[in-house]
Amino acid sequence: MSHTVLVCDDAIFMRTMISDILAQAGFDVVGEAESGTQAVEKYRSLKPDLVTMDIVMPDMGGIEAVREICKTDPEAKILMCSAMGQQALVVEAIQAGAKDFVVKPFQPSRVLEAVQRVLG
Amino acid sequence: MDVAKYAALFLAESREHLSSCNQLLLEWEQDPAAADALGGLFRSIHTIKGMGATMGFTGVAELAHRMENLLDALRHGLVTVDVGTFQLLFQAVDALGRAVEDAAAGREGGSDAALTVALEAAAGGPPEGVADVATLVEGKRQHRRSTDAPRGRSVLIVIRGDAVMRGARAILAVRRAETLGVVSAVRPSLAQLEREEFDGRLAIRMESRASDEELAAIIRTAGEVEAVRFEEPSSWATAEPERHRQIRIDLDRLDRLMKQVGELIVAKNQLGVMAARSDDPPLTELSDRITRLVSGMQAEVIASRMTPVGEVFERFPRLVRDLSRDLGKRIRFDVEGEDIELDRSILDEIGDPLLHLIRNAADHGIEAPDVRQQAGKSAEGRILLAATRERNSVTLRVSDDGRGIDRAALLAKVRREGQSDATPETLSDDDVLRVIARPGFSTAATVSGVSGRGVGVDVAMTRVRALGGTLEIRSEAGRGTTFLIRVPLTLAIVRALLAEAGGERYAVPLAYVAETVEFDPRAVTALRNREALVVREQVLPTVHLRDLVNAGGRPAPARRPTVILEVGERRTALVVDALLGQQDIVVAPFDAPRGMPPYVGGATILADGAPALVLDAAALL
Repeated sequence: MSHTVLVCDDAIFMRTMISDILAQAGFDVVGEAESGTQAVEKYRSLKPDLVTMDIVMPDMGGIEAVREICKTDPEAKILMCSAMGQQALVVEAIQAGAKDFVVKPFQPSRVLEAVQRVLG
Repeated sequence: MDVAKYAALFLAESREHLSSCNQLLLEWEQDPAAADALGGLFRSIHTIKGMGATMGFTGVAELAHRMENLLDALRHGLVTVDVGTFQLLFQAVDALGRAVEDAAAGREGGSDAALTVALEAAAGGPPEGVADVATLVEGKRQHRRSTDAPRGRSVLIVIRGDAVMRGARAILAVRRAETLGVVSAVRPSLAQLEREEFDGRLAIRMESRASDEELAAIIRTAGEVEAVRFEEPSSWATAEPERHRQIRIDLDRLDRLMKQVGELIVAKNQLGVMAARSDDPPLTELSDRITRLVSGMQAEVIASRMTPVGEVFERFPRLVRDLSRDLGKRIRFDVEGEDIELDRSILDEIGDPLLHLIRNAADHGIEAPDVRQQAGKSAEGRILLAATRERNSVTLRVSDDGRGIDRAALLAKVRREGQSDATPETLSDDDVLRVIARPGFSTAATVSGVSGRGVGVDVAMTRVRALGGTLEIRSEAGRGTTFLIRVPLTLAIVRALLAEAGGERYAVPLAYVAETVEFDPRAVTALRNREALVVREQVLPTVHLRDLVNAGGRPAPARRPTVILEVGERRTALVVDALLGQQDIVVAPFDAPRGMPPYVGGATILADGAPALVLDAAALL
């Protein structure tokens, strides 16, 4: 059975790209979120095996979303998607409970490596 | 912040660390495979760097930083250690020592460009730029944290060089490790990692029930991990010595305290005499009580001044190593009894004599490897520095298994100067010592085998005697030479036997009194044309104190006590007019006036306020 994934990013371009990379690798992208609030809601309803999370999103940011999700599910497997130069934010996300991170621009191989690590 | 007032502390602490660096380097050099010393070295250098930076001593901080880079590279296996590395590290420790001394003395010495280049090259390339003082201070802080941590496993993690956001990756690795245990320290600090102020290598200390393999596996799930290595706790942060509550006290202050106690003892003795005369029970009782209190106080003051001889010994392994290197010899240097304690002021004075004797042993005692082998000995010579505690003294022994002193050659030289009619067979160890301890003996010496043997022996002799100690030599041709230094446990206050001769009183330090016997004229005999006494079937050379001090006045009483003096295995009988009991005396430093006989070791004030001379037992033998 393939792993289910929730992809969270405010840019359609990024969501599409990540979804494509994962789908091609055999993952089941069960949902997409374009804000932190949506991400938290969809995580609760979809209970995906994995979440990819953008850091900067409108309404609720990715870090806040991580915090919210981990409140109810400390074992949530969240992969942060960060842009260059956001190291401090990435660290904050890790402290909040994110399990790994990838840095844009994405290289498909790195994204998949990270996903594999997070899923163990 | 005005840091100037911390200069003395900086200097003292830096010296301690430098000394321990030498020690660790020596250990490591003995066994390059055992990298246990590396962690300690790194910590010491790191501490000096932090202190130097805090003091604003950039020369110290920069040199320490470069050394740290090299040590770090060694620690992470990025470069391997070889003979040259040790030499370089020894040089660097020396240079750092000079930089520390210079800086503390207000001289900012120039940096040694060649050394800098050598350190950089050895570390595998130019180091990252020297961080500014603030960063270094930060480094010191987190160093503190890490060493204060409880015991546990040390894990070194290397993040791949091509990884992006290596700092965040490193933190992720720490988080992974935390899932299997408690991480007590992270170096560099998390804050530094977040700012990516590191080179991809981090070390964490943690306690975990998981196996190394399990830990490594979980840490690797952080991704981009190039290597995970484990070190025994001792190698990264050796178990900190047990924490005692301690304060540093200026030795001058302890000296003043000791002097005060000395005065107190004199006053107490006087009070005791008055009380005994007064026939006033309350006064006698009070006097006795004060006597006990002062004794207790004296013991405490002496104890507070006691320092392990190891503090002085620890500089010698390095000396011997350097000497053997320079001389092309192979020398094993062993130390025994480092824990034996001596009064700090004696300890401070004993370093030089030991230095001279050890240097002599390495230079003139131990033969070259081929010479040793031809003589049927192992190619590696041995020098032993040992301390042992005796009754009221400490014996320091410097032994070598070298060629020993060539008595024939020594005699030939002495005869040329027309000073002896002895033969090699009759030349005793004492005679040998007398000859080689003559000032200028070495410089005049051209005789092979003993050439230079006297270097410093006269100096050592003078120093040791000034401490109220004695120096002896035992030498056997082909087998080696042993020097024995005997010093009192503490200066200033000694228990003495008071003796009278010709109406004058003299104090004999009890440390050298074996026993007292009644003088028996029938036991008088002769030994080498000198008067001698037979005491317990032993023939002892005899000295009459009256004759010695040219005492006139009343004739000697018929019944005379005899004090048997003992220094090492040598004994002599000192015949006196009367014995007046024991007393704690405070020996005043004695700048012997010209013409003062050698048997006078000092002066003291007796309980009744009268002065008395203190006899130097060694000079009477």
